Amino acid sequence: MPSEFFKKTLDPVIALSAIAVLDIFMFLIVGAWTVGGGETMMTGLIAQAIMGDELDRLPFWQLVFKPDPTYWKIYISLGMLFGAFVGAVLSNEFYIRVPRRLEEWVLITIGGLLMGIGIRLAFVCNVSTFFGMTPEMNMGGYLAMSGILAGAWVGSMIYKKILEG
Amino acid sequence: MSPIGQCIVAFIFGSTVGLLVQRSRFCNTAALRDAILFKTYRNTKALLVAMMILTFGFTLFLTFGEGNPMHFDVGLNTFAGLFIFGVGMVLAGACTVSTWVKTGEGNVGALWALIFTFVGMFLFSMVWSVNYWPPAPASMTGEPNLEAFQLGYSNAATLQEKFGIPAIFFGMIQIGVLYLIYRAIRRKEMAQEVAHMQAQAAAQPAE
Repeated sequence: MPSEFFKKTLDPVIALSAIAVLDIFMFLIVGAWTVGGGETMMTGLIAQAIMGDELDRLPFWQLVFKPDPTYWKIYISLGMLFGAFVGAVLSNEFYIRVPRRLEEWVLITIGGLLMGIGIRLAFVCNVSTFFGMTPEMNMGGYLAMSGILAGAWVGSMIYKKILEG
Repeated sequence: MSPIGQCIVAFIFGSTVGLLVQRSRFCNTAALRDAILFKTYRNTKALLVAMMILTFGFTLFLTFGEGNPMHFDVGLNTFAGLFIFGVGMVLAGACTVSTWVKTGEGNVGALWALIFTFVGMFLFSMVWSVNYWPPAPASMTGEPNLEAFQLGYSNAATLQEKFGIPAIFFGMIQIGVLYLIYRAIRRKEMAQEVAHMQAQAAAQPAE
């Protein structure tokens, strides 16, 4: 029942199983689910819009990610934003939430920066790690999983200290 | 498929994922953080089930030479990058998926994390433009390059090529390992439930 779908929380095992099946189709058509690559391309496009030709002074945007608005990975992210917005509106869960404490803003800022730097250093994000590389049994998937588990552990210890402190 | 066709397929896929993640409140950060800090596994189990299905599907199609696997060299940067990412996602309380999904729900903190992910990427592009490490995709060879801390390229398809054993065979081994982890978590949860029930029974006054 569609109305039930927007009333109750969906079991994440069901949701992720459905996503996995769709991801197999994506793997066959264009490539597995990924987010980091699309975000990098968006960064390049935004930087190009702000800086213009000045961006050419950074070889990264010539040799690794040449800004291209038809890069399909961008549209996965925009789709996720759209799908989540529709889901939130139809289930009456859309409302503006703003972090209240300065501490939260600082943590989110540092966390966001680290995520961006980490994705570009690794060439992969968490989605490619768990939903792309590792299921393809790519050696990088195991390296990435070891890294993210170690990082999440260190992050959790910092988080715990902050919670207790 | 034309680039526009790819973009349309990607948008439809992304929209469905966004909807399912929003309705299920799945979070990759929570899948790791909650297991480490709170010993709760709601998201971890979902992640493991998805990985089992994906491993089956991907290695099955790789056996027949189908699919579009990720193709680039990996190395020290893969580990180090995801380590930095892992710290960041716990501090931000969101990963690449939940930043988009929570932004779609009206969460300004998630939008802020997303903006700073972009800023982090741009800062990295400035550093890369000085030291050119890790190597650009065009200069990757697929072979180990230890000077650049690169181990090359290998996946289920290259294993099949190397050993003459179908990729799905390796996939089934990985599924077995993932299942063992899943089973260990279920057992832990059941032990937690029993302990919880016993504690409740002990707390009730005797009649």
